[in-house]
Amino acid sequence: MEKRVMIVDDEPDICLTVRVVLESAGFEVVQAESGQRCLEELEKGFRGVILMDIMMDDMDGWETIRQIESRGLMDGNLALMLTAKQDPDEDLVELTESVLNYMRKPFHTEELIANMETYCKWLDQAKQAEIANG
Amino acid sequence: MLTDLLAELPAIDACVLIVQHMPKFVNKSVRDEIGERASMKVRLAKDGDYLQDRVVFLAPSDVHMKVLGNRMIKLVEGEKVNYVRPSIDVLMMSLNEDPITNVIGVIATGMGSDGAEGIRHIKNIGGTTLAQNEATCVIYGMPKAAFETGAIDFVLTPKEIAVKIGELLSREDPEPSTPGLQQILQ
Repeated sequence: MEKRVMIVDDEPDICLTVRVVLESAGFEVVQAESGQRCLEELEKGFRGVILMDIMMDDMDGWETIRQIESRGLMDGNLALMLTAKQDPDEDLVELTESVLNYMRKPFHTEELIANMETYCKWLDQAKQAEIANG
Repeated sequence: MLTDLLAELPAIDACVLIVQHMPKFVNKSVRDEIGERASMKVRLAKDGDYLQDRVVFLAPSDVHMKVLGNRMIKLVEGEKVNYVRPSIDVLMMSLNEDPITNVIGVIATGMGSDGAEGIRHIKNIGGTTLAQNEATCVIYGMPKAAFETGAIDFVLTPKEIAVKIGELLSREDPEPSTPGLQQILQ
């Protein structure tokens, strides 16, 4: 089973923490320090779980999700939003279906690993189903 | 997501209907994930399914799920409601007032306001309404919108919601009821 996660966050400490935790649990981790870098990685072919921080300078997490959708890059990916607050802007409610789930920062190591295991498994199951259906 | 709440819920003499906003390609995986932890059978709802006690029906993506005559599931295409499809409002508002059918409506963590009008409707037809409390919500939008309708009976943690559902179902009913309480969860 492929276990690939992209952490998208402009805080280097967050990226490093996620990378260390997940790599020690057997995940392949890609770091993107901005929304733009995230798009570049997706254009290069990244497929996996995307952990997207909401609050980033230049292009925030929601705008990045909009760009991913408009460029047709969400296929084969699952996106989770990292949030430090409980109520994201209600104007963004139209993106509800583009995001699988949310995780509150700071997050627990065990919860992060368990969630990533589950979502990578779901992506793998979907891929196997697609192969089986030809 | 609802996995933790359903893991706390024992097998109950009621049918559980779930609307979970998720991409279509993970529908079966979510069904299996919930099924591994729930005490009841978990199925992806199909058009024409009849509600059954001790069964959880999960609404599939990209269609709205309704209940006809408080008995049969109907999957309908149509525009998104509250930016989502399936919509909790569509499901809840398809239920009718019925003296032999009891309904519990639950709104859990999520963004937006889907379910607020549905909760109001559940209350209006004599049902009981629950919302997840703010402290345990990652995103409080939907429970908040439901609470602000004034139609929420109980604001609880996920574990308390499971306990409350059990309590509501164990109350003696002076009238015989068939097929038992239904629940709608998001």
